[in-house]
Amino acid sequence: MKKQVWIILLGVLLTASVALAAPLKVIIQEATIRKDKRFFAPVVARVAYGEVIQELERRGDWLRVSYRGKEGWIHISAVQEQKFQLSSLSTARAQETSREEVALAGKGFTPEVEKAFREKNPKMRYDLVDQVQGYKVAEPRLQAFIRAGNLKEPGGAR
Amino acid sequence: MRIRREFFLWADTMLIVVVLLTGCAEVVQMGTTVGQQMGTISSEDKERFDRMAQETAKATRPMTDQEEYYVGRAVAATILGQYRLYPNESLIRYVNEVGQDIALASDRPFTYGGYHFAILDTEEVNALSCPGGIIFVTRGMLKRVKNEEELAAVLAHEVGHVNHKDGIAAIQRARWVQVATLLGAEAAKKVSGADLAQLVSLFEGSVNDVVKTLIVNGYSREQEEAADLGAMAFMYRAGYDPHGLSNGLERLAKEQTGGTKEGLLTTHPGMKERLAKAKAVITENKWPQTPHPARDQRFRQVFR
Repeated sequence: MKKQVWIILLGVLLTASVALAAPLKVIIQEATIRKDKRFFAPVVARVAYGEVIQELERRGDWLRVSYRGKEGWIHISAVQEQKFQLSSLSTARAQETSREEVALAGKGFTPEVEKAFREKNPKMRYDLVDQVQGYKVAEPRLQAFIRAGNLKEPGGAR
Repeated sequence: MRIRREFFLWADTMLIVVVLLTGCAEVVQMGTTVGQQMGTISSEDKERFDRMAQETAKATRPMTDQEEYYVGRAVAATILGQYRLYPNESLIRYVNEVGQDIALASDRPFTYGGYHFAILDTEEVNALSCPGGIIFVTRGMLKRVKNEEELAAVLAHEVGHVNHKDGIAAIQRARWVQVATLLGAEAAKKVSGADLAQLVSLFEGSVNDVVKTLIVNGYSREQEEAADLGAMAFMYRAGYDPHGLSNGLERLAKEQTGGTKEGLLTTHPGMKERLAKAKAVITENKWPQTPHPARDQRFRQVFR
């Protein structure tokens, strides 16, 4: 009886460690992998939404990752752990859940829903929303702004 | 022995209930397997718990960042149907520089579509954030801020709401459960026309929930105080003086007592209480009031 419990606990721990090494999914439109764990460090690679990257190391809010043979750092808010990793122990269930995940990923509040919503509400000012989303500050400009204002470069010492 | 066994039975059941509530089906399965091995739950119970856990997990899946982005765009499109954009380029650039710096220093520097700051052409004194990171500040509010620290405080407060996903939290829970249920039931098939129509109406309802909270009802006192607390932390990390927040609140609190009741002052109640909390946090952290001549000067240049 006691032995059984230990075997189960060991199993749970092993499964948990599988989950920790889980691949990460990029959850923002365009993410950047950087040479160092700073926002303004040189860009090693650009990664699109939905791409999967591998975590190698975690330091605070920064993760060292590998993507298509390149290694670098990405901020934790740009990625999410891929779900359903625990079920990978059972191949049949894994296939079932991943199919379900694929189906779910294409649903919910999607571009398709936005399109139908816009057709239904033609007075909505999406044109102005697009204009506002075009308000961006180039990285070198933001760095210069921070320096000129005697501000601190964010994300460095956290 | 009997007592111990009953205790374990009770502990097992409680664990399963707690985990069910948190909605992690995989953890429930581990728990029920252990429970079954130890003989504290039957195989029928195990199946029942596993099934309940899977259904709960499906019905409560959180909204993704991408979905939050689409809700935010619709909320912004609604607001921009009511207000005009203020087309002052140097002011827009300046507000975005301060805002982007604050956003990078926040707990959620990246969102699906990123942060964007726009100025609404109205005398109303207000600032509001759409889910996902589109943030509006009114011309009336920009007239009230006296320096870059106070502008940073206004934007940081709104970034705080985005960080905490307060906009999304305004969506009625029953509505989101309906979305999740619809998706769960139809997971294996392609979205049919009828489903899309239903999804669109749920989307519309969700957008209205958020807009109503932003424009009419406002957030709760707790959400406002949490946004202030976040704002001061982001400001401090970015190198701004968090006194910018308490100084700005102090002026708005005086106006609120003065009786002007529009925009911000109706959707952001309890300025005095917020001011007291903010001051307490500043004292607790021993943040000194620091001079910032370089920032004061560039603020005057843009705002002259």
